Amino acid sequence: MSEIGKLALFLGFLCSCYAVGAFAVGLRTGMAGPLRSGRRAVWIVCGLTVLATIILVRALVARDFSYRYVAEHTSLDLPKMYAFSSLWAGQEGSLLLWLLILSAYGAVFLWAYRKRLDPFYDAVAMVVASVMVFFTSLLSFVSPPFRILATPPPDGNGLNPLLQDPGMMIHPPILYTGYVGFIIPFAFGIAVLIMNRSGTRWIEEVRRWTLFNWMFLGFGVLLGARWAYIELGWGGYWGWDPVENASLMPWLVGTAFLHSVMIEQRRGMLKTWNVVLIVLTFELSIFGTFLTRSGVLTSVHSFAESNIGPWFMAFILGSSTIATALILYRKALLESENRMDAVVSREGSFLFNNVLFVALAFATFLGTTFPILSEAVTGSKISVSAPFFNRVNVPIALVLLMLTGIGPVLSWKRATASVMKRNFIIPIFVGIVATLACLPFGLHGIYPIICVFGAAFVMSTVVMEFARGVQARKDIEPPATPAALLHLVQKNKRRYGGYIVHVGVVMIFVGVLGSSVFQKEAHAPLQPGQSMAIGPYALTLQKVEEKQILNATQTRAEVQVSRDGKRLTDMYPAKAMYTKSQQPMTEVALHQTAAEDLYLILGGVNEDGSASIQAYINPLVGFVWMGGIVMVIGTIICLADRMRLRREEKLLVSEEKLLAS
Amino acid sequence: MNRTSLRLILVTLAVIASVAWLISSGVKQTGMQYMTVTELAQLTAPPHQGGFRLDGKVQTGTVNYDQRVPRLNFRMTDGKESIGVVYDGLMPDAFADGREVVVEGVYRHTDRTLHASKLVTKCPSKYEAEGLGKDRS
Repeated sequence: MSEIGKLALFLGFLCSCYAVGAFAVGLRTGMAGPLRSGRRAVWIVCGLTVLATIILVRALVARDFSYRYVAEHTSLDLPKMYAFSSLWAGQEGSLLLWLLILSAYGAVFLWAYRKRLDPFYDAVAMVVASVMVFFTSLLSFVSPPFRILATPPPDGNGLNPLLQDPGMMIHPPILYTGYVGFIIPFAFGIAVLIMNRSGTRWIEEVRRWTLFNWMFLGFGVLLGARWAYIELGWGGYWGWDPVENASLMPWLVGTAFLHSVMIEQRRGMLKTWNVVLIVLTFELSIFGTFLTRSGVLTSVHSFAESNIGPWFMAFILGSSTIATALILYRKALLESENRMDAVVSREGSFLFNNVLFVALAFATFLGTTFPILSEAVTGSKISVSAPFFNRVNVPIALVLLMLTGIGPVLSWKRATASVMKRNFIIPIFVGIVATLACLPFGLHGIYPIICVFGAAFVMSTVVMEFARGVQARKDIEPPATPAALLHLVQKNKRRYGGYIVHVGVVMIFVGVLGSSVFQKEAHAPLQPGQSMAIGPYALTLQKVEEKQILNATQTRAEVQVSRDGKRLTDMYPAKAMYTKSQQPMTEVALHQTAAEDLYLILGGVNEDGSASIQAYINPLVGFVWMGGIVMVIGTIICLADRMRLRREEKLLVSEEKLLAS
Repeated sequence: MNRTSLRLILVTLAVIASVAWLISSGVKQTGMQYMTVTELAQLTAPPHQGGFRLDGKVQTGTVNYDQRVPRLNFRMTDGKESIGVVYDGLMPDAFADGREVVVEGVYRHTDRTLHASKLVTKCPSKYEAEGLGKDRS
């Protein structure tokens, strides 16, 4: 079986090389034959990758320890579902997952555009196939997943307990769906340059693909944060760890692109800038994969150092050089059709949004790679961590929060003073009232105050936009009914979907503010029967017991929780000792409400029988997760707007038919 | 160039300048110098900088964990020299004798220890290739 897997990957490599060649010949000569053959080759790579993945997954689930990968990442006592998800526990399997998702994107792309005769789409497929060449060659020659052991061990090494979590089963595939998906916008951008295409048709298509990937990436980042919150057991969810940063950077640049692309659609400006952003987003996705897998930086993920680093660096350098050369070569194509009319305008605010998003990504990049950069420049290795990012990124993020309220309300071209007054007086007033209302609850410090003001300000601009929308339709149906609101959103999905995304963003800001500034912490060793207090809660240790579960021994404390004297619930913070690896693993106990989370950790059991309990109150942290869900809902609403696309699609298909006849 | 373009460029430059200032002051105030255990252990005078970042291994038999506080005391080694580390916080799950750790914190020359504010334990290499022998040729 392993031979078939190996062969499948090697054939996949040959086929992707062939596809690139066939597309190149077809595009050069204008012959339809090679193009058709190239498309078929991409389909075949997809099939071969699926085959290779099935073989590896089968071996993992069957615990066939003759496979090195299986012996490294699973064991006999591992539950079946985690044996399945150990596909992405190591480097080789992760790369295979990358290729699988990449070829799936290739297939979906070919399927979606199967009726288009335009060779432009073959150029897009050629770029996708070139990236396939890279990943199939990595899997065939550098980091092969199908290595067979000379003497298979009786049992495997087992899966890292941190990865034995349902959240960890879905987090990597979702994150990768976002990461890898940026290949399509990138391929579109490169294809436009290769084919010297003008016009804005492709822009709408790219916008939709980007929106889709962006949603998955953002959701994946939040799932990662949620996993860290539940599994890593330090009371927080975001530590500015290199791997977290790696997933955040392409998201930030992608967000910038999603905004500036609107200016291109509307006014035909910022074309070069948009191509640069697409390229950058894709390169950062590759860089993210590289950071996660290469071990150049230490992080909570801290994978072993590996041999793929130079390959990734070469790929990033090569592809960005080609992209830059193409952008310079096609300078005329990217000429702006319009000029900016005024600083205070929709365009102006989006431009600052872009500068700030890129600055945020740049600061994150700099901070993440600072040890490497400082050593290269000054010779002394300096590292920065969470305090740096909080100092630099928080103010930038707060300005962006303000822009979230200001930008969408400003009119295109030039915003007049009277309209601005009408639109902003109430939100400013609401912002001030909200800030004053929060002061008695211990709100202090300049950033938290700006954050509360900004959140209230943005929320009221959004509410006002909705109100104005239903008011404008009052002749069609009575405003202030749920139906009117629903129809308003249906009529203009892009616009109101965008506002809903912004509501999600505000919720995340509120959640981050609450859980970072107002977090409470307490620690005490408790004998059974003893209590400790944190905020309004009293925690009483009932007993400590040992239990055997699946593949671990669990030490579990039973803690009775009461709030303001009233009995609330029982919580069970625990520590599991994994039998196979003899590694302890903290199992956090969580009591979640909309207002706050009570978060308990069992530090350990002392010689005298007392248990060390570490407790946190994380106010409003639920808003972070709910905000993420609201953002996803908003994005889906935006994606549901197919009107513009359909109109252009019809036009295209009829045009192509005309050309063909 | 018209006035709007000029204004746009000026505002953009102002934004870039403020971000650059944020970054450079951030590095100055929060940057931590990488050191080897040997370099730190052989210091004869108190260092100028505040923060340090150290890579090394937990010296076997030196771990002293008082989980009532909680406070973790251990010595870190790079194979040649060793240095004391104090960390106020819960012991990370993967922390154990001989494990590779990264600590960040302030070095105090008076008691020759690093007072760590951050302690990261690298995953034991057990989960990567180890002891599986050669591939079948």
